[in-house]
Amino acid sequence: MKLTGTVAFRDIETGIWVLEGDDGKTYQLAGGDRKIKKDGGRIEAEGEVVKGAMTIGMVGPVFEVKTYRFV
Amino acid sequence: MTKSSSLRVLVGLGVAAFAAACTGDRTEPAARAPEPASGPVDSVKVATRPAGDVGEQVADAIVVDFKDGTTAEQIDEWEQKWGVDLELNSVEGVDDGIALAVGVDDVEGALEEIRQDPNVESAEPLVQYAIPENEASDEWAPIPTRGPAPGDSDGYQPNDPDWDKQWNMRQIHMPKAWEISKGKGAVVAVLDTGIAYEDNDDLRQVPDLKGQKFAKGYDFVNDDDHANDDHGHGTHVAGTIAQATNNKEGVAGVAFEATLMPVKVLDHFGRGTSADIADAIRWAADHGANVINMSLGGGGYSQVMADAVAYARKKGVTVICAAGNSGQGRVEYPAAYPGAVAVAAVGPEGVKAPYSSWGKELDIAAPGGDKSKGENRGVLQNTIDPQNPSQSVYRFYQGTSMATPHVAGVAALLIAAGAKTPDQVEKALFQGADQVGGKEWSDQYGHGLLNARKALKALKNPKEAEEPAASAASTDDEAVAEGGWTTYAATNWTPLFWAAGLLALTLLTLRGRARPGYLNVALKPTFLIPALLVTVGLFCLPWFFSGAHQSSAMDTFRLPIPDWLEKIIFGRGKTANPLVYSALLPGLLALFGIRGKGFRPVVGGMAIGFAGVLAYSALAGAPALAWLPFTFLAIPWLVINAGLCLLIARGMLKKEAA
Repeated sequence: MKLTGTVAFRDIETGIWVLEGDDGKTYQLAGGDRKIKKDGGRIEAEGEVVKGAMTIGMVGPVFEVKTYRFV
Repeated sequence: MTKSSSLRVLVGLGVAAFAAACTGDRTEPAARAPEPASGPVDSVKVATRPAGDVGEQVADAIVVDFKDGTTAEQIDEWEQKWGVDLELNSVEGVDDGIALAVGVDDVEGALEEIRQDPNVESAEPLVQYAIPENEASDEWAPIPTRGPAPGDSDGYQPNDPDWDKQWNMRQIHMPKAWEISKGKGAVVAVLDTGIAYEDNDDLRQVPDLKGQKFAKGYDFVNDDDHANDDHGHGTHVAGTIAQATNNKEGVAGVAFEATLMPVKVLDHFGRGTSADIADAIRWAADHGANVINMSLGGGGYSQVMADAVAYARKKGVTVICAAGNSGQGRVEYPAAYPGAVAVAAVGPEGVKAPYSSWGKELDIAAPGGDKSKGENRGVLQNTIDPQNPSQSVYRFYQGTSMATPHVAGVAALLIAAGAKTPDQVEKALFQGADQVGGKEWSDQYGHGLLNARKALKALKNPKEAEEPAASAASTDDEAVAEGGWTTYAATNWTPLFWAAGLLALTLLTLRGRARPGYLNVALKPTFLIPALLVTVGLFCLPWFFSGAHQSSAMDTFRLPIPDWLEKIIFGRGKTANPLVYSALLPGLLALFGIRGKGFRPVVGGMAIGFAGVLAYSALAGAPALAWLPFTFLAIPWLVINAGLCLLIARGMLKKEAA
């Protein structure tokens, strides 16, 4: 699935990176590379929501990024 | 003659009731305020409001904690010497000796002089903990200032150097709780990223877990016996439960004599699968855990995990889980499974943290921190550096993950103190919780704020623990003196106010001869008494029985009638029953009203009362209703039924055309 949104760092738990999707949902970021971690960066990403994933973040579904680009 | 005088009395009664309804509405927040916090603190708050900042030092104010037994006269004497105007924090403050002074010109100078006095336990600049304005005004029912609670300066005071930074431990009244239990013998399994509990490979035990007891654990991620933490989350969580305490190192933990069972289910990124976690729950239950702490969540409903939680509970394990950090009205799994205790997070003031999830499965709230107003408002524990897992650090974290181990720790204290089953543990946790806004349960705070001291008392003597919520007429001296921030359940007059308004509206829909006079209806005892009973319950009960033992039956009858039914028929549950919160009862009674004319005002009064209660609960944050899958359905249900009640009332009150 394709998602666009804003990358954000949230100081919750030990600190987590999320994608505030333009679809109004918040996803916990996984995959990609370290350069995706840019607070406030707008990205367009291709990837999948990981079913059954449980995390310490607990802010929303885990989105495993396969490819992405800043827009 | 008799008629007119009795009418006058009734008019007086009615006016008084409606006046009370109005004032009750306006002064409700004040009624919630525990006595010790009002007075001086309020005046400070007002004086410094222009400065605006919350949770910061008040420029010219200091707080002095005198040794026990210091009298007001002595303090008066010293004031002169120090040149500050000290005022006891509250009337009860004489016992704990907390005094405040405002308008101090040279704060540092004054503090230095005061600290040298042998009668002074501590003196520091006053830190203002106010409810942030934006949060106080929104829908979360805020509870008053829960900063450094007076009275918690006695009890067991550990010598850990950073104990002063642990506002969270004082918020749940650990010093007093530790006098009763420290968790000895209870086993708490921490299902997380592991614990830095041993030296293994390049990983080291963190210093503030040294000397603690550990049960054999398991690593479900790498499938070996070494559940070492390679992330930092699990060690922090474990620290809240059982950090080495009174060891002159770092910080304290809730149940520091309990045994930790490290179970690694989340990888070095803090992520795991529901399959691993379900396995781990069963494993922990089979290997002697009394409590399972799961500061994790996500994914959808999984039957495998729901079964695992049910299995653990059946084996006598109390399962405590984080509600989630989305800030939305949805409790995450596993917290939302039946049999799991779902924990929300509050900040230092006891107000729900903005990130904390909420919803109808919520059970209790505990300190999880709120760092939006400063780092030190998080929860401080010893853990490993996420960027270098072999390095020990002390970090302030915030999250429902941090709130959860407080509850798990108190569960361990309860087990060490004799609780045998998860039911007993939960009952004590919930009965001991400080109710928020006088509500027995809300979808923001569950049964209220975790209180370790009261939970232990509730275990020993369930009746005693119920008392504080009993009545404003009884003074719970002990709770006040010990700094128990008891929220008294004052009679809530607002539903009556609503009923009065709705009555006026209903009568307006009747035309001509069919419309009875407003006062004729409202002041008729056959109407007024049922309406009063339904909306506010037997509010006058404590007037007759003041000083008598407060029984739980009396508590029940002081509630609005729908809540009696709820309690008597369905007991205390997580959710309200939609049949009780509906037009069903007035509807059934109306059948009698059709036959017997004299019965009609009674049914009318009840129907108007029900309409008032339903309309009020719809607007004041609707209760979660049983059997309804979505929380948002509660409001339409209540509104529709309030409307039906009004139709019934209209029919009952309508005058027959002559």
